[in-house]
Amino acid sequence: MKVRRQQTIQRTDKPVPGGTPVVKAPNPKLGNKLIPADRYTSEAYMRLEWEKMWSKVWLLGCREEDIPEVGDHFVTEIGRESILLVRQKDGSVKAFYNVCLHRGNKLVHSQEKPVEATVAGTFKCRYHDWEYGQDGRFVDIPDLETFPQGAPKCGGLIERPCDVWGSFVWFSLNPDVEPLQDYLGVIPEHLDPYHFERMVLTKTLTVEWDCNWKASVDAFNESYHVQGTHPQLLYYLDDLDIQIDCYDKHNRYLIAFGVLSPRVLAPGEIPPPIKVVMKGAGMDPADYEGSVHDIRHDVQKHKRANGPAQGKDYSDLNDDQLTDDYHYMIFPNITMNVHADDMMMFRQRPHPDDPNKMYFDYYFYELPDHEFDPETYRRPVHKNYKNGEISLGLVINQDAYNLPFVQAGMNSSAFEGLWIGDQELRIRHFHDTIEAYIKGKANKPQKRTATKAKSPAKKRS
Amino acid sequence: MDLGLRDKNVLITGATAGIGRRIANLFADEGANVAICSRTPESVTRAVKEISLMADGRIVGKACNIKNKEEYEAWIEEMAEELGGVDIFIPNVSAGGGNDSEKNWWRNFEYDILGTVRGVEAVLPHMEARGGGAITMLSSTAAVETFAEPQPYNAMKAALINYAKNLSQTHGPKNIRVNSVAPGPIFFDGGAWDMIKTSNPKFFEITERTHALGRLGTPEEVANCIVFLSSPAASWVSGVNLVVDGGYTKRVQL
Repeated sequence: MKVRRQQTIQRTDKPVPGGTPVVKAPNPKLGNKLIPADRYTSEAYMRLEWEKMWSKVWLLGCREEDIPEVGDHFVTEIGRESILLVRQKDGSVKAFYNVCLHRGNKLVHSQEKPVEATVAGTFKCRYHDWEYGQDGRFVDIPDLETFPQGAPKCGGLIERPCDVWGSFVWFSLNPDVEPLQDYLGVIPEHLDPYHFERMVLTKTLTVEWDCNWKASVDAFNESYHVQGTHPQLLYYLDDLDIQIDCYDKHNRYLIAFGVLSPRVLAPGEIPPPIKVVMKGAGMDPADYEGSVHDIRHDVQKHKRANGPAQGKDYSDLNDDQLTDDYHYMIFPNITMNVHADDMMMFRQRPHPDDPNKMYFDYYFYELPDHEFDPETYRRPVHKNYKNGEISLGLVINQDAYNLPFVQAGMNSSAFEGLWIGDQELRIRHFHDTIEAYIKGKANKPQKRTATKAKSPAKKRS
Repeated sequence: MDLGLRDKNVLITGATAGIGRRIANLFADEGANVAICSRTPESVTRAVKEISLMADGRIVGKACNIKNKEEYEAWIEEMAEELGGVDIFIPNVSAGGGNDSEKNWWRNFEYDILGTVRGVEAVLPHMEARGGGAITMLSSTAAVETFAEPQPYNAMKAALINYAKNLSQTHGPKNIRVNSVAPGPIFFDGGAWDMIKTSNPKFFEITERTHALGRLGTPEEVANCIVFLSSPAASWVSGVNLVVDGGYTKRVQL
């Protein structure tokens, strides 16, 4: 039986002073045109993205706590670039291209893991012992007298803008990038109340997926796919009454958790996924006498009352944030399921040269309760996998299953583009922002026209 | 075959939805007078109104949480008075499955066991006064085979079969028959198996195939058996547990 119950999610009417804004942003008028499929498949578009977007924006590198002490460092990669993030004496972080200026060797042979400062506090290239300080400046070039041209005139590693926000270290490949705070726009105001700095990393891994990085971003930015891909979540969240907000480059949606979807009837018992929500809050589902429709509010009340005793400070969060998913996309490639007690973050990175592949970085952060012991906590070790080598949990596995087929289909000559509906507004907004970068202030639009013209030709062949 | 239910007085607990509702519908359709309850007055009012549309007899009801002994006993007395006696009693309310804490044991004990025992104690004098009666309890195939996980629902449903059999011996001389029905997985919109069908379609399909008849049962098919066992047409059946499961369980029942 096809069900569509009438249901309106009651959203909080008690905003917290200085808390996350909850007012709906006006929807941008972005039309209803097809989004061309070749943005996901063409190497030309991929190069355009790199030149006009990836190399211009701010990108997430690592966590501040990954590099607590002077000289601690972390290597992250984006496209063909490897970036070295180093804690400085003054407490700031600097970002350098992780490449030795002598013969191009990667300076630090590490990836996606925190590395403590070397004993000497310097970085020495393994090839010919060229040595750089924590500030990137040359410390030693062996046999410098045998270089009649002297040392490279730049004086050391090539530095790029680097800054911190929200417990994370951000960098940009664009020397002229706007300040991070300007770039992030509303994001700090929205997410600071969650205090990510209090959360600890409990899972980190990277999976190579056979799809374009945007296909992955898209998969997490709409709830329309819940009924088809994650039917079990229909007994966990309202996939229809969702607040979508688009802000400049970034966007979000607010999804009520701990409720039934209007697409299902209330069963006579509490659905297992909602029991998980209750248990997470310290409630006993067997002791619950109320209606299934009241559980979300009762969980909010319970957490508000019992959070402090569990060692959890929810004082900067509104009631909805105690149950719901405030899902944010920080342009271009960070999608985060933000909750009071945890934050599941995905960083989607393009493959260096294949538009049909990407890297899916998964991070899970949890808010410690009073039982957490920082002395025994060990940061999980990051690992790389191919798709199917590791389970990411039922929900993400379901998404991961779809994506290679989506990518294959987007390569079909029969598929012109994405037919996007209102529930997928964030996807349209995401593409609109990418296009704004690609068209750029100083950029010429003819490449865009060429891309467009290619589609029909491809169809006829 | 005439079931002989015309003008019989039937009390069913928790009969506004699911299997209980189909039992009430069928008794009403057969010309019996039916009394129902559920926890919310609105759902009782609505169900009474709807069942009345298909009834020749009287359909009455009142909100009652059968967990509260006094409220429950008062409901039985009030319904017995409204209908003018009790011939048939179907204690249908269950706390359902679940194994979240020790509290589940208390819940299943209170709803499944005491919800049956207290009802039986209260209706027996009414049946004796009318020279006989029939009680049909709701057990489950989870009582006769292992199912899902060790949980109070399975254990309590097994206890009901035992209780029914003993009652049938003790009260047989007073012409009171006592039986139980053990349904297997039953599908209806908004039921537990509707949720499983949506959230875990693979398990649902496996369960369908496990049935000799290749599908899940309907609440009407369970109601048919309960109404028959409770009717004068089953006058020579007492102390049985009737498994109604389309061949879901595989044991040989001797």
